[in-house]
Amino acid sequence: MQGFRDFTRAAAALVVGVGIAGSTAAQAADITVGVSWSNFQEERWKTDEAAMKTALEAAGAAYISTDAQSSTAKQLSDVESLIARGANALIILAQDASAITPAVNKAVQEGIPVVGYDRLIENPDAFYLTFDNVEVGRMQARAVLAAQPSGNYVFIKGSAQDPNADFLHGGQVEVLKEAMDKGDIKVVGEQYTDGWLPANAQRNMEQILTANDNKVDAVVASNDGTAGGVVAALTAQGLEGIPVSGQDGDHAALNRVAVGTQTVSVWKDARELGKAAANIAVALAKGTAPADVEGAQKWTSPGGVEMDSIFLAPVPITRDNLNVVIDAGWITKDAACNGAPAGKVAACN
Amino acid sequence: MTDQTPLVEMRDIHVSFGGIKAVDGVSCTLNPGEVVGLLGHNGAGKSTLIKVLSGAYRADEGAILINGEEAAISSPRDARRYNIETIYQTLALADNLDAASNLFLGRELTTATGSLDDVRMEAETRKIMGRLNPNFRKFEAPVSALSGGQRQSVAIARAVYFEAKILIMDEPTAALGVQETAMVSELIKQLKSEGISIFLISHDIHDVFDLSDRLTVMKNGRLVDTVRVEDVSQDDVLAMIIAGQRPNGGQITNGG
Amino acid sequence: MSVSPTSGTPQSLPARIARQMELDVRLLGMVVALLVIWVAFDLLTGGRFITPRNLFNLTVQTASVAVMATGMVFVIVARHIDLSVGSVLGFVAMLMGAFQSQWLPGVLGPDNPAIWLLTIGFGLIVGSAIGALQGYIIGYLAIPAFIVTLGGLLVWRGAAWWVTTGQTIAPLDSTFLIFGGGIQGTLGFLWSWIFGAICMVAIVYLTIANRQKRKAFQFPLKPVWAEYTNAITLSAGVILFVGVMNAYPIPERAANRLAEARGIPVPEDGLGWVHGIAIPVVIVAIVALVMTFVARRTKFGRYVFAIGGNPQAADLSGIDTKKMTVYIFTLMGALCALSAVIASARLQSAANDLGTLDELRVIAAAVIGGTSLAGGVGTIYGAILGALVMQSLQSGMALVGVQTSLQSIIIGIVLVAAVWIDQLYRRRIGA
Repeated sequence: MQGFRDFTRAAAALVVGVGIAGSTAAQAADITVGVSWSNFQEERWKTDEAAMKTALEAAGAAYISTDAQSSTAKQLSDVESLIARGANALIILAQDASAITPAVNKAVQEGIPVVGYDRLIENPDAFYLTFDNVEVGRMQARAVLAAQPSGNYVFIKGSAQDPNADFLHGGQVEVLKEAMDKGDIKVVGEQYTDGWLPANAQRNMEQILTANDNKVDAVVASNDGTAGGVVAALTAQGLEGIPVSGQDGDHAALNRVAVGTQTVSVWKDARELGKAAANIAVALAKGTAPADVEGAQKWTSPGGVEMDSIFLAPVPITRDNLNVVIDAGWITKDAACNGAPAGKVAACN
Repeated sequence: MTDQTPLVEMRDIHVSFGGIKAVDGVSCTLNPGEVVGLLGHNGAGKSTLIKVLSGAYRADEGAILINGEEAAISSPRDARRYNIETIYQTLALADNLDAASNLFLGRELTTATGSLDDVRMEAETRKIMGRLNPNFRKFEAPVSALSGGQRQSVAIARAVYFEAKILIMDEPTAALGVQETAMVSELIKQLKSEGISIFLISHDIHDVFDLSDRLTVMKNGRLVDTVRVEDVSQDDVLAMIIAGQRPNGGQITNGG
Repeated sequence: MSVSPTSGTPQSLPARIARQMELDVRLLGMVVALLVIWVAFDLLTGGRFITPRNLFNLTVQTASVAVMATGMVFVIVARHIDLSVGSVLGFVAMLMGAFQSQWLPGVLGPDNPAIWLLTIGFGLIVGSAIGALQGYIIGYLAIPAFIVTLGGLLVWRGAAWWVTTGQTIAPLDSTFLIFGGGIQGTLGFLWSWIFGAICMVAIVYLTIANRQKRKAFQFPLKPVWAEYTNAITLSAGVILFVGVMNAYPIPERAANRLAEARGIPVPEDGLGWVHGIAIPVVIVAIVALVMTFVARRTKFGRYVFAIGGNPQAADLSGIDTKKMTVYIFTLMGALCALSAVIASARLQSAANDLGTLDELRVIAAAVIGGTSLAGGVGTIYGAILGALVMQSLQSGMALVGVQTSLQSIIIGIVLVAAVWIDQLYRRRIGA
């Protein structure tokens, strides 16, 4: 076993060496990218996988994968098996950001580059690829601010246990800070949403409306699920139509954008993420230094680790650019436009 | 007596649990208006035997005859159809329910619309308790609030109310004090005088000797013998229970 | 429990009055606790808690958990547990969402008036079937309810995701939304009073009928004044409730929109419409009534309590405990489906995470309401009050602006404390 692994490692080194020396497309066919999924049962990763495979095929690289089925322990052995199967670059969707460390160290020791996919792996040798959650928050706030430049604002945040909830909120406040300082915007309510549950968001919104006698002018909700709860609470008070933000491009939310009860849904195109990961992995396998990957920048994690990273910019979907998601095949026109007022939404005409 | 068809005849009953023969080929009879004491140590198999009659267990082999005809008893409900009522050692009372609910459990009286007729059930309970235990007052309380004797009288009332012809009493006085035991003994005599046939199960000969007409003794799942009370002394019966010795000197084989 | 009228033990005056009125002291304690919570939050929020608006919200927020809690009483009384209710709710809600928004419109055409009815019927069938399946496994295959429903918790939550592979379904049928208690989902002024009147007639009728029947059998009777006081207190409660719900006006903008949709002209000085009692609350009231009747006046209910009191005794009394287990869980499943209607209509969408952690809320409501996990003891109205207490704490804290993590801590402590106090009380009265 050990002998076999040494052999593969030597072979991989040889291949990489030749790849760098020759640097031709034909030799890239010897690149194998191993992907460790945390839980492939979740539908969204299937979209990512399809995009990854397409991009790898275009680059002439092979694709192998494992599914940790939500187990941190299984993911450790998964990564080892990917290395044993000859992967010369790894893409890891970590089940747990800290628990994955030993596996990442092992890969790094063997000279195999690691791309942390979507979720942070706090390791200076790993490459971090994700959507810019702070930017998502900024986009949400910008869209709401454009629709309602002043008045009483409410923040419906995500789950307190999820670090992304605070990244999002950080971005939102960044954009709104100036108006808040000037006194144009007054924050009259702010709540975390336990487990990101729409029903909890609805109850919190109801209580905030009660506490403020309905004097609420805009709601910055952190995702589409919570936005759904917020809109239901607003509708009960006849307030539907005031600016509400969200993210994820949920079908129900995109329909709300068309109908006019939600202002924006920030859309993170999983296919872009998959494609980018494939390209980065191939580049790293070919020996490109992480810092030299196109678009890479230095980023310091909350834990103080400096990493090479790429943050993809998401797309804010509003009434004006609803066609983007329809054209991308993310949602059918019928589903998006169901009940939208005639003539108000360009994409629905 | 022997020429008459017994009310109950259990013929060659076998029951085993996971290879252990709890009852191994036991036969016994109960005649109309008779009290038969079923004696034996704990674990002799008497409770198991009698649960076959009351429908709680099913026999692996053997037959039950009621009035000379084979009876199919595979559940407590079946047994009740043959007017067999059982008063279990544990009394089988739901402690959280009141006396009337327990008395009618499984056989509730209903109104024309099919809903429970609690008021009528309470009235019936008051009537029968007035006959059996005139001092009983706690009709509204759950039976957990009753004394041992009061609970026993609820269990007996349940059997009597539904016109049991065959009554099985499993250790009826085991948990009772002296006075309450005397009360239950009186009750058994009263029931007998009303023509009810009774199987009285006990591990203690003193509980049953004076009340029974005949005694059936079991040991290690097998029948020792059945004797008429007037033919034997208490010592003879003790020998049967302890040593498995027949009064005429013969000894059963302790096979199994 | 020594309540025989002849016992000559001296008692204090309040105790004697309570005894003569046959009051449930436990119930009284819960009502007092609820009022204390309300007053405390009212003081903390500067008078925003005890307002028609907040009390209306509170009743609607409680409804879905309250409906399931009534079924959980039966489950727990029969010495079982159901951990799957939240997941079943989520799964049934997703199926109903897909059924009414994606499947039925294609068959019957959009906005067919039968859609809501077929959807609810479909949901009830699915919910009952799931319950029956779990009940069958528990009863006939003799696998503990804890395990079976723990499995169900995972299975049905996963199944909920599969219905649309995670997509939230919206919008829902417009008539279906009435069951969520939104602006259209209330009885309005007149019907609220009619509903209240029906309740009061029922209270008076039941009081008199019960008294007549006991009289006919010459049983001991409550003093007449006690009977009157009970009936009058209950009726006053109904009047107060309807009055409060009718004091919550529909926001003008929403009312105008509603009038427009119904083709009613808006007068100069506004419509002056009020909410009245929310439809989910009417459902809770009906469920509570039916379930109380089932618990007290049917063989089924009697058997549930008998099984809880002594399973062997129930078995020996000829009760088919296996079949009963199937029935109990079937009922629980049907109630989950009903709650799924309320919860998804209230959210105006069906999401696969709907009902997450509801199993804990439902069990907590039943337990705070006096249902004993040892089996055999529990009441329907107790469970509903328990749900109301839980929701009051949660909504009150949200109104004050307490952080969610702190909210969880407080509710957890309250749950344990409530059961502890209940046990102390039971020990004192020796029940």
